[in-house]
Amino acid sequence: MNWQAILLTVRLATTVCALLLVIALPLAYWISFFNRRWRFLVEAVIALPLVLPPTVLGYYMLVAFSPHSFLGRLADSLFSVRLAFSFPGLVLASVIYSLPFAVQPVANAFSAVDSRLLHAAAVLGASRWRCFRTIILPLSKAGILTGAVLTFAHTVGEFGVVLMVGGNIQGATQTISIAIYDDVQALNYASAARTSALLLLFSFVALAVVYALNRRSSILWSTARSA
Amino acid sequence: MVDRPQRVSLLKAEIRHRLSSSFVLDCKFEIHAGFSVLFGASGAGKTSILDCIAGIKRPESGRIEVDEVVCFDSAKKIDLPPSARRMAYVFQDLALFPHLSVLENVIYGLDHLRKETRQEVGHAVLARFGSGHLVQRSTRDLSGGERQRVALARSLVTNPRALLLDEPLAALDRATRLKMIDALQSWNEEHAIPILYVTHSVREALALGQRVLVVEAGQVIAQGTPAEVLDRESWE
Repeated sequence: MNWQAILLTVRLATTVCALLLVIALPLAYWISFFNRRWRFLVEAVIALPLVLPPTVLGYYMLVAFSPHSFLGRLADSLFSVRLAFSFPGLVLASVIYSLPFAVQPVANAFSAVDSRLLHAAAVLGASRWRCFRTIILPLSKAGILTGAVLTFAHTVGEFGVVLMVGGNIQGATQTISIAIYDDVQALNYASAARTSALLLLFSFVALAVVYALNRRSSILWSTARSA
Repeated sequence: MVDRPQRVSLLKAEIRHRLSSSFVLDCKFEIHAGFSVLFGASGAGKTSILDCIAGIKRPESGRIEVDEVVCFDSAKKIDLPPSARRMAYVFQDLALFPHLSVLENVIYGLDHLRKETRQEVGHAVLARFGSGHLVQRSTRDLSGGERQRVALARSLVTNPRALLLDEPLAALDRATRLKMIDALQSWNEEHAIPILYVTHSVREALALGQRVLVVEAGQVIAQGTPAEVLDRESWE
């Protein structure tokens, strides 16, 4: 088993997951509670990675991350970081292509919070921030966890974008899915089988967790509403 | 609860707000300390009037003033957020926070006080509404009557300028309802704030109202004592 690729993938997925939680919470809040007129446009942009072929997305990112592009030069001058074929570039690309997996479950959870509860909190003197912290966040726990699990799992399994933006550099950009592809190319089926089985098991556990969380939260809501 | 000085409280409302292409709220009224009943059929606009007073809905024009504090004035572009109006509002569906305990619900509006004081005040108000034994219970485990009492306690604990009640006792049996009305009336003898009580039941309006405002199609069409404005037969 290619432990280097496994560790790099876990590091990548954890970083992306943490970054996306920070980005997804305010974005999902905005989508759920503000600017209904332009919401469909923002939602469409966020959902793009769901329908675009990974190679198309990867191609645009590769062009955008090139040392001659605006983004490439900005990253170089501000952080002395090269984005194309590097771990930081992989993180940025993964944040973009996993964005819908983080934002949509969180936005759905925020929208499902009964508006009467928010009105009650506001009438009781709570500011928007306190409403968010004490009502919306705790009641959206399942949606936030679902977003985190889906983001992690999707980042672990991505192939096309990672190959386009990161290439296949061992210890720097080679993730599990690319290591499996490499093994198959080298006719090393035993190693490919072991790593694939690990990925299959991980994906199953991730989905089981997501469905269990959603089942629990729908039970909680139906109990609260019928009481 | 914090003692408030005895004075004459007054809630003045002038609301114009289009709810749909064919339904416009257009009403003007004043209510003094004590119970006033907002009476009308379902869909007459009673809840929307309460929502406008509480600051949940923003009227297109008008003026809302309570205790000489202007909460909304379209001409002067004043629109205090709900959190700054200090109104207490018991919603029809009560809107208890399902993830918090009874005590946490009740003290939610006391964030400005120290933790110990919050707890003391919360225990006291729950005891007053016969719910002292529910303190640590989850709101999901309460009966209908217990939920109503907790919602009332939660709204009154904030020492509000006015109390808005949207059919809060509709789901209760007669005995429990009378107990709750007694508790509310005795609370208001001390606090003397305007209480606007929404109902579509003539019996409740007759039992409660020192004054009744009859709402029809978004307008207050009659005001006066229950005997003056309620024709028992035509409403039942």
